[in-house]
Amino acid sequence: MSLKTHVIGAVAYDPKVVTIWEGMREHFREQGFPIDFALYSNYERSVEALLEGKVDIAWHTPLAHVRVQRRTDGKSLSLGMRDSDRDFRAKIVVRADAGIRSLQDLHGKMLAVGSRDSTQARILPLYFLRKEGIDLKRVELLPFDTDLGKHGDTGTSELDVLAALKAGRAQAGTVGDLIWANEQAAGRIDANRLQVLWTTPPFDHCSFDALPSLPREAAEGFQRALFAMKWENPRHRPVLEMEGLREWLPARDSGYVTLREALDQEGYW
Amino acid sequence: MRESPREPRPISVAAVDGGDLALGAGLLALVRSTLDVMEPGGVLAVLSSSSTVREDLPSWCRLERHRYVGLERAHDGRDQHLIERGRYSHAAGSNEAGIHLPRKPLPERLRSDAAQERPAERLQVTSADMLASVPMPPRASPYTGFAPRGARVEPGGPEYPFTLLDRESIAPPEVAQIYDQAVVQQWDASRDIAWEKIEPGSPKVEAAIGQIMTFLAENELSALYVPARFLPRIHPAYAEVAMLIAQQLADEARHIDVFMKRARIAGGGAGISTVITSRSLHSLLQPDDFTEATFLLSVLGEGTFLDLLRFIEDNAPDETTANIMRRARNDEARHVRFGLAHVRHALSQDPSLYGRLEAAVHRRAATLGDAKSVPAPVQDALTILAAGGVEPRALAQGHEKFQKLLQDMSVNRVTRLLNAGFTQAQAEVLSGLHTANFM
Repeated sequence: MSLKTHVIGAVAYDPKVVTIWEGMREHFREQGFPIDFALYSNYERSVEALLEGKVDIAWHTPLAHVRVQRRTDGKSLSLGMRDSDRDFRAKIVVRADAGIRSLQDLHGKMLAVGSRDSTQARILPLYFLRKEGIDLKRVELLPFDTDLGKHGDTGTSELDVLAALKAGRAQAGTVGDLIWANEQAAGRIDANRLQVLWTTPPFDHCSFDALPSLPREAAEGFQRALFAMKWENPRHRPVLEMEGLREWLPARDSGYVTLREALDQEGYW
Repeated sequence: MRESPREPRPISVAAVDGGDLALGAGLLALVRSTLDVMEPGGVLAVLSSSSTVREDLPSWCRLERHRYVGLERAHDGRDQHLIERGRYSHAAGSNEAGIHLPRKPLPERLRSDAAQERPAERLQVTSADMLASVPMPPRASPYTGFAPRGARVEPGGPEYPFTLLDRESIAPPEVAQIYDQAVVQQWDASRDIAWEKIEPGSPKVEAAIGQIMTFLAENELSALYVPARFLPRIHPAYAEVAMLIAQQLADEARHIDVFMKRARIAGGGAGISTVITSRSLHSLLQPDDFTEATFLLSVLGEGTFLDLLRFIEDNAPDETTANIMRRARNDEARHVRFGLAHVRHALSQDPSLYGRLEAAVHRRAATLGDAKSVPAPVQDALTILAAGGVEPRALAQGHEKFQKLLQDMSVNRVTRLLNAGFTQAQAEVLSGLHTANFM
């Protein structure tokens, strides 16, 4: 009896996505859980494809993830996430010469922000700033709405934010913690010119979503194969590197509360 | 994994003082290099007076999958960040820090002119001593790639196509000594040969020399190509074997060069390449086993060549040609020494190897067809060389000398095979099957 091939939806935010999913397909075949993949150009299309049953499982940004949960009345299945998706944070980076010593000092300043559908570079940092008592009407935003529909996956808007800060086009900016740490570690940040003013509370990031109708054995078979990928395995490692993780972990629901609140406040559902 | 008592074990607790360094301004050079020598789960304390480190270090830990344990106040009031080393990208093995290779006085015979100015200060560090300090592992993993032996290898690298992974089958204990010797004995076929002393001689003798040199160069070309096929298969844990082969290849390149220069320096020119030679050398490309190929090429072929080079040296018309032969023979003797060491070592580890080597010699003999005599142009050229010309009575003597050469080759080949660890009966069988082409 041949096994059903499950179709995984993902978004082609970069040419490497094809390489990633070819590698995933090969790995899942070896694991006895055959998959194929369908690539969409944006997460809105991917969410619809999952809801319409065109794909069995979809790899989603936090924004797409909470939208699927909302559209399924919270009944959708969350099958897994990257280790890097847990406890994500955003950074408020400031120019050292801008005289910004506290969050209150952001008032009257130019704040560079990432794409409006980027959880880490726009939605949540602004939400947390409001929560800290910042009146965003008194802050001038310099938005970089690049790669809309990709939900910040490309990181392009975050690099745009850093470039604007370096060039002095803004006094402050919002970026995800991993891009910030990565740029620092690579020596691309002048520590005398750019510094972190504040780090947001943690939130969770991407997730594999499925409809509640996915059979239990399919969900388990998918997870078994997913969690069998190992960083130490030379054939797995390139895929894991490109996808930005060391280890696949079970999904958890606790990390999306703030995102839902933010979307409620902004009416951005 | 190799372990020796003087190497420090990975450490489980450490502290670094980062001063006021920001994370992106040099602190990582301190933190990363310390974590690299710590075992997973080990705890590193980072002392810091930089406030930005409070924001940046936890994020960097998340990026690298180390656990940021927390921030404490040190007794001097500074920040003390605690990091638990994560389990990823942990290079296996223990650190070589503190290793000191032995340094010995440079022997007088190895001193260059410049070195002799301060002879007492000259020291040498040999590859043999390094091998003794960092021994080869019995078995090597194709996943360690080109990492030099002794390096700590981060797991997860690709599988390399090395197939010679066993110390006992490729690396005799004396390989590094032979390598050291090979490096010292390199010479220059343009500068180190007294070309000016070769006068145009008898055209017949020069033609014979041209033929002989062509034959030598043809055989040396095979000795360049055959070991080269195996070089990329050798695991770098046994790099001394690859390095020695590299020296041998340089030797062969020089021989090809110097032989054809000698053929053309005084009117002789290139001679004939025969089917017997071509077929014989073609058959050297067939073995796919390093030990079989080494046995056929270095023990039987190059071993037999020692006698041939000696013969040409003894009968050379001028001192420069004799000197060329002496230099080439000295190099070839080293190749034979390695071949013998290799086969002797492999035979001592695996007695069934004799059967495989005998089968290889038989297989090769079967491909050589009916030709059981030395290629005629070579035989004639050697005879004319030994005669010093084409005067009939001299030719008779040349012919006798040639017959004597064949006998010497046979006797010495059997001696070499006994030396490699074969019995008298085995040695005689193998020697008798050897190609009439010498190599």
